[in-house]
Amino acid sequence: MITELRPIPPSVELKAPQTAPLLTVDRLKAYYKTQLFGVDREVRAVDDVSLKINRNEIYGLAGESSSGKSSLIKTIAGAIRPPFRVVEGSVRFNFKDGERDIYKLSPQELSAIRWSHLSYIMQGSMSVLNPVRRIKHAFADFALPHVSVKGADFTRLVERHLKRVHLDPAVLQAYPHELSGGMRQRVTIALATVCSPEFIIADEPTTALDVIVQKGVLSMVREIQQELGSSVLFVTHDMAVHANLTDRLGIMYAGRLVEEGRTRDVFKKPLHPYTAHLISSLPRIGDEAPKKGLEGSPPSLADPPSGCRFHPRCPLAIDICHREAPQMVEILPGHRAACHVAQADPTRVEAVA
Amino acid sequence: MSPNLLDVENVNKIFTMGGLISRTVNHAVNDVSFSLAADKPEVFTIIGESGSGKTTLAGMILNSLAPTSGRILFQGRDLRDVRSRRDRLAFMSHVQAIFQNPFDAFNPLKRVDRYLFSAAQRFTESRTTEEAAERADEALRKVGLSLIEIRGRYPHEMSGGQLQRVAIARALVSNPSLIVADEPVSMIDASLRMTVINLFKKLRDEIGVSIIYITHDLATAYYISDRLIIMQKGKIVEGGDARTVLAAPQHPYSIKLRQAVLSVDNAWRDEPFADTIPAVVT
Repeated sequence: MITELRPIPPSVELKAPQTAPLLTVDRLKAYYKTQLFGVDREVRAVDDVSLKINRNEIYGLAGESSSGKSSLIKTIAGAIRPPFRVVEGSVRFNFKDGERDIYKLSPQELSAIRWSHLSYIMQGSMSVLNPVRRIKHAFADFALPHVSVKGADFTRLVERHLKRVHLDPAVLQAYPHELSGGMRQRVTIALATVCSPEFIIADEPTTALDVIVQKGVLSMVREIQQELGSSVLFVTHDMAVHANLTDRLGIMYAGRLVEEGRTRDVFKKPLHPYTAHLISSLPRIGDEAPKKGLEGSPPSLADPPSGCRFHPRCPLAIDICHREAPQMVEILPGHRAACHVAQADPTRVEAVA
Repeated sequence: MSPNLLDVENVNKIFTMGGLISRTVNHAVNDVSFSLAADKPEVFTIIGESGSGKTTLAGMILNSLAPTSGRILFQGRDLRDVRSRRDRLAFMSHVQAIFQNPFDAFNPLKRVDRYLFSAAQRFTESRTTEEAAERADEALRKVGLSLIEIRGRYPHEMSGGQLQRVAIARALVSNPSLIVADEPVSMIDASLRMTVINLFKKLRDEIGVSIIYITHDLATAYYISDRLIIMQKGKIVEGGDARTVLAAPQHPYSIKLRQAVLSVDNAWRDEPFADTIPAVVT
């Protein structure tokens, strides 16, 4: 059991990437394309996203529902089915045993990468674990095909891993319903990390949990990441989690990446008005100032606004925002944003917050 | 002296499971008492983790569950006596509920304005469609929407924040004096969450509705509530003025809860950045 509940804070110094980034997403466009009675419909869930994730870092991805963050991680994991298709761009991993382009692999090669190099922590622990099979069988179902050991050796490997993540090996005998929500989520994290993957995608693993349990699960994610030296892509819409866990942070809005930088820089000096709003509207204990909600509603990805997709809700919108979509530009060192106003004068965005 | 709006007196709820041989007893709500004054609308928050009995307590206040022992009085009247159809309708027009996920609360095949019309026909004196529409529009305006915007729309055509505001408007149609909101913002996106939270504040201040706000999010609780209670395993472990309790919790469980809150300010505590943000109450 983890007794210490404090998550390890994000590392302060910017780790200089010694090697090439582990994940390179280059100008990725992935659309849901449907054709019904001759009418083409296109939902641009991931639209021109480029990002790099280094080794040994936790990269946070924030954004509201229908901002395309789930579509993006599905594309990165290579787990997409029609009508969702990659239209343009590439997703390249630079694993220790060679570089791989996810969309140039055969299905066999892809499944060989899964779990051993690239794994996934999902949100609903109850729907990941089979309710009628004991936890030990879940481990066998998920991990056995990806390791070279079998039988008693495999059980020993699993037990050793559980000890490493401070879980009692007795949970192997339990059924999912016998464990509490937090415990189940810990088991799914153990499940995703048992093969020591280099890249872990975590999709809102703590959203369904209570505050106390959430803190324990987050510190577990941090601890495992440091122990394995892997990279984690951590997705959640909870900005407080990002502040306490991630090293770098990307903000998505309406299918586009709008801001990216070291988490601390993003919080300290947001360069996109949407990020500035997200941060300033966070309620804090001890702060009684009135907070404003954002006007308007999230745009539809089937028919996004022209120009900058945030302009209908943006307090700073100027003429050019209606016409031209801003590109991601490095405004401050290691801190990119797609905003016309910030690109002209980065201090103006701070004023809204 | 006029009776209180709501009195919860030593309420217990015990669920028993299983038969004669293996019986398990779950004491979901254990000796809970509090009251809301009639003349002073307020946001009363119930904080607790899952399994602390907060939703069971809400169910009893809404009169959909009967307490095992103890009693709940609404405007001086024991809820046990609210039995007949007429009494129940009258009670429902005073006490309304809002639930966690608006997409679950609305039938996806039913247009959202239908809910408002049927609430208007049931709880107000409106006989004609025009009157019902007028009532619906009135309620929608209180939440910053209008009937023209939502007329004929289905739940999937609206954002979570909009839909939750429609749910609140539906609750307001009958001019209730108490709204029970069970985790109303935990499924709503960050950018829209504050809109809904601010709406509760507005309802309290401008319309004079008391709100029982059930949550496990201490930060929003601090932001809107006047008084709160913290529940653990069915018992109230601490209660009182929201600001006082959250600024300096006394009970070990409340302290643990308070410390578990992830704060943006604490993330970089030992750095210059920490100075630029309002000091944290510890």
